Formats: sequence, C-alpha cells, structure tokens
Amino acid sequence: MDELEVLRIRDEMLQALYWMHSEGISEAPTALELSRFLAVPERVLQDYLARFVADGLLESQGTASYQLSPVGMESGKRTFADEMADLTRPTHGECDEDCWCHDSPEAAAECLHEHAGKAHSN
Amino acid sequence: MNTPEKLIPTDHTAAQVLPKNFLRPCLLLLLREHSAHGYDLLERLRPLGFSRDDPGRLYRALRALETDELVRSVWEKSNCGPDRRMYELTRRGMEVLHESATALLQTDEILGMFLSRYSEFVTLDRTPRPRVRRD
Repeated sequence: MDELEVLRIRDEMLQALYWMHSEGISEAPTALELSRFLAVPERVLQDYLARFVADGLLESQGTASYQLSPVGMESGKRTFADEMADLTRPTHGECDEDCWCHDSPEAAAECLHEHAGKAHSN
Repeated sequence: MNTPEKLIPTDHTAAQVLPKNFLRPCLLLLLREHSAHGYDLLERLRPLGFSRDDPGRLYRALRALETDELVRSVWEKSNCGPDRRMYELTRRGMEVLHESATALLQTDEILGMFLSRYSEFVTLDRTPRPRVRRD
C-alpha cells in the first residue's frame, strides 16, 4: 500500500464513520454499506478496513461490520475539524468578510443574537 | 444502515424531468432557510422529492459544497450524544443558490409551456400541491 494513500483514505473513512455515528445513521456499518456511503467499490475498501482494525482505529464487529474505536472516534472528529479549519470563523465581531453580519446593521444584530453565548464556529 | 430507500427522487416520472443535479440547489435552499445538521437535511429533502435512503450521497454532496466554499460546517456541541457538524450557507452559496433559482425559473416556464400545449390533447389530473413546511 502507498502510505500516503493510506493516510488519505484513513482520514476519509474515519470522518465518514464519525459523521454516520454522530447523525445516528449507523454505528457499525458493514463494508458494503460503507462502500455505498463513500461510493467506493467494496473490494477496494476491504484491505484498508483490515489495516485500520490492525492499527486500532476501527473495531470489527463479528460479521464484518466496523465501528470506530475510541482512538478512531477522536481522530475522525479531529481530522474533520482540521480539514475545514480554514473555512470556519471566530466569534462575532472577529468574523471574516464573508460573515452575514456585515450585510446590514439588522444582520449584525441577528448574528449577535443567534450566536450569543456561543462561538461563531469551532 | 437503517435507511432502506435510496436518496433519489421518489417519483420516477418526476425523476425524469428534474434537473440533473437538483440535490445541490435543494441543499443550498434548505441551508438558506436555516442552518442544519445532516440528519435534519435528510428529513427536509423529502418534500422536495428525495427519499432518505442514501445518506452517503448527502454526505458527499455536503463535502463537495464545503470544498467549493458554498457551505461551511461547525461543531454543534451535544449534551446527550456525539458532537455533530452543523452546516450553514456562505455568501457565495447564497449567490449560487440565486443563480440556480433563476435557471429553475426558466425550466419552470418551459415545463409550463409543455404542459399547456399537452393539455390541448389530454387533460391531466393535477394533484394539489401540499403546503410546504420548512421544518
């Protein structure tokens, strides 16, 4: 396996599994379900799944279903955040030029109201 | 997975005339209405002609929209479950939504003309449109 490709697929897979878990869509999808979810042939995924189980990122559930290990869960969440980090914003008043709050005073007021007490983004 | 249907237009007749990438403007519209997480979007796509079986298609569409900077996502903290990604529209996303809506308006006019001309031969039984709820 190309190790750079392994890293890329690992991130993709962990993020997808975390998303499925967090949205309540599936806790432990099978390889077939995962292949449909990622639109990747199942046979392509199999070797990677075995590798990630061996690496302790996934736990295999008996008949070839997979779920995130605690380490995999943390990694999936973190890589999701890291990948989109440049698209996220700080709290209101520190937001970038793309923020709605620059549209009008009303939008700024609404933005403040909506985000009162919590971060604009992560 | 516990969702047995495909995320494709539920009505095959409608599927033949809906724009090819209709999911994309639909997602932008839903996020224009309000920010949402994935499962909420899956549910709200149903009145727009999509069933909820292929969450992977939604996931991939959201990823593509995010990569194109039409959508951004942030963590929503949860006290009773895992943190989830909350998706929201960017300004560029709103612009693209407007472009899509303009194109759809033209499609609507063409479809209207088609149906008008066809009605000279056959009277179609038009099913009343249900009132659209945003949530």
